[in-house]
Amino acid sequence: MLKPPIQELQTYYKTIRTRRMQLILKVQATAFRGIRDYLDNNGFTELLPPIIGPVTDPGIRGAKQVTIDYYGKEYKVMSSAILYKQMAAASLDKIYFFSPNVRLEPLETATTGRHLVEFVQVDIEEANITYEDAMRTAENLVAHIVSYVVDEAAPYLEELGRTLRKFRPPFKKITHREAVELLRSKGEKVSYYTEIPWEQEEKLSRMFDEPFFIIDYPKGARGFYDMEDESRPGILRDFDMLYPEGYGEAISGAEREYRYEKVIARMRESGEDPAKYGWYLDMLREGIPPTAGFGIGVERLTRYLCGLSAVWEARPYPKIAGVYSP
Amino acid sequence: MSSALLRIFFKLFRGSEKIAAARSFIETYPIDEITQKARKGKEAVFPFSEKEEFGKALLGAPIFEQAPLRYDTLSKILLVPPLFTPLRLKKMQEILREPVFTDVDTSVDVGGFSSSMPVCIASMGSTDVFNKVSLQVARAAAEAGIPMGVGENVATVWGYAQRRRESQPCFKERVMTYLQHAEEGRGGVFIQQSVEDAYDELWNKVYSDPDITPYIEKGRVAFEIKLGQGAKPGIGGETFVSRDIALKIRDKYHFDDDPATVVKEVYSRHSAPGTFTADILRSMLRLMKNNYPRCRIWVKAGPYRDVEEVAQIVYEQEAEAMWIDGKEGGTGMSPVIALKDLGLPTLACLQKIKRMRERGLQLDLIVSGRIIDGGDVVKSLCMGASAAGMGRPIVVAAYAAGEEGVKRFLEALKMEMQLLISALGKYSIKELGDEDLRATTPELARSLGIKSVYD
Repeated sequence: MLKPPIQELQTYYKTIRTRRMQLILKVQATAFRGIRDYLDNNGFTELLPPIIGPVTDPGIRGAKQVTIDYYGKEYKVMSSAILYKQMAAASLDKIYFFSPNVRLEPLETATTGRHLVEFVQVDIEEANITYEDAMRTAENLVAHIVSYVVDEAAPYLEELGRTLRKFRPPFKKITHREAVELLRSKGEKVSYYTEIPWEQEEKLSRMFDEPFFIIDYPKGARGFYDMEDESRPGILRDFDMLYPEGYGEAISGAEREYRYEKVIARMRESGEDPAKYGWYLDMLREGIPPTAGFGIGVERLTRYLCGLSAVWEARPYPKIAGVYSP
Repeated sequence: MSSALLRIFFKLFRGSEKIAAARSFIETYPIDEITQKARKGKEAVFPFSEKEEFGKALLGAPIFEQAPLRYDTLSKILLVPPLFTPLRLKKMQEILREPVFTDVDTSVDVGGFSSSMPVCIASMGSTDVFNKVSLQVARAAAEAGIPMGVGENVATVWGYAQRRRESQPCFKERVMTYLQHAEEGRGGVFIQQSVEDAYDELWNKVYSDPDITPYIEKGRVAFEIKLGQGAKPGIGGETFVSRDIALKIRDKYHFDDDPATVVKEVYSRHSAPGTFTADILRSMLRLMKNNYPRCRIWVKAGPYRDVEEVAQIVYEQEAEAMWIDGKEGGTGMSPVIALKDLGLPTLACLQKIKRMRERGLQLDLIVSGRIIDGGDVVKSLCMGASAAGMGRPIVVAAYAAGEEGVKRFLEALKMEMQLLISALGKYSIKELGDEDLRATTPELARSLGIKSVYD
């Protein structure tokens, strides 16, 4: 449990001028160049991210969406751009954008050091690939970013006192079931049917010294857009990548369900009326190619690269659950 | 009709178009009995309207039903005590005197909450008749230490934290009134979300609400997935709303006429029943556990013929409780034909509960549907229910005598339970079993798997 710096948050205009914050932001900017360097050289097209729309990602653990009044109608602020990723990959095959997201997270997340209400993720989606392919992109990307930052931001890292080492993919993969068994063997109470709670995820992450994947989450633990494996009912073709050393989740990704009837049935799991996803369902009914992809949160990435204790250090104007700040 | 009855009649059913509904309710529901309890509390447990009558009356068991029954109800089974009561002896050894009925401990743990008695207040929704008295009920339930539900559509229709109409409490008032009045560690509130409430992510809103969070952390809040209700299994919420409200919620519900283009006084509002398969339910429960790890998860089902299969899934996915509402269950609004022809009667639901217990199902099961008095509750418990749910008696008690009326009704209810349980020679809820029951006909006994009065 970390205490959010509630007082300091009110005067972050001072914090941003500190040497430490300058170093962190320099490393972060280097990481952005590393991301673009990899993706642009591997055939991806960068697009502008959506910010508002009639619906957004419902698959966020316990977090509330932000609603805005749009000329008498309601719009949601993107909690993730997932629905638009499928839309864009259907046109340009390999796409990415730096997507700002807002999630009114439950208050308990204020002390995890891993949650921000406002954050940016790099959203990546490719048409006609499997989730294994998406994991290859993910591990190559992360390995490239780390190597790029180690080479290009060495003096900043040194001044921050952070030693970072390069990795060579492929990264280790364990299934969700194996992860649960591993945690249970250490006396942790975790369920086979839900995502691994933050506290246990951190413990799991400490058991590894390289980034690794947790794959094949149980159905119900993720949003309706993660595809169920037809040969293994109840198992989703999806993954998380975790940083080592206790830094926890880096990436969340999946092969997407793109078939209209399946999506309709899956939407019921959240108790929603599919009607509200009008445009998205129209798009699926008319047909889109299968896609797979993932999102990588840039504040968490920065936290890992710089060895920070909390994500709020990785943003010049952090918003923490329940705290009103500039 | 007594004057008290008349008063309730007028309070409940203002407006002439509602007279027919009022007449049918008065004729078929024991309003007088509930009103007496609401006004006099424990005194009403005895058959005197005034204390002075004691010693001047000769009484006996009632043998008539007011009207022929369409199907078997709890009145067709009796609680039959033995003379030999080894558990009473045990109680005597524990308390060093002859036990009396007040020694019965009615407290239970149900659905992850601790309750002062095996009774929960049903999730009543946005219908005017209940919403108007909902805060009185919330205070009384909290102080009595029993869990209370907040039904669907309340936030969408009456507002989340701000009233849409001066006379109608909003959602958060109902929740907070209960939580702020409840004793530490006793009771809890379970909250429903309809398909339409999901549009506004009601549960997520509650889960990140700074005022409710401390109570969530103490384990006092449950989310109740509604899979149906007794009065209209398989049919979604049906209600009438006035134009000002209809205009505010027209994007989220289906109306008979669009309030924006057709001007009339009231609009009929339909909501969807929701589509389920075993797989959808299983995933939905996992999703709930995943998204709201600090809340209890409850499920409310209608009297469906596959209710046992549903319960098995609910149990496997580790929800804290499942509520089964029999076809006699109350409603603010339901098609007449549904009331008449849809669903399993409460007694049949109890028979399913008994069968599930025999198969070893550990899930907390709550039964409701015309549970009127302590006898109904105790019989339900003997059939294997973990608690009984009540809606209408609470509404009637609130209209009869406000918050105090509900409290007095609950006190009388508790006393009735204590009397009956002690008569059976038992002093705690978990000692009750089907050995305490006898069916009034051999055929019913066979169907329920209990003894008959002739065995």
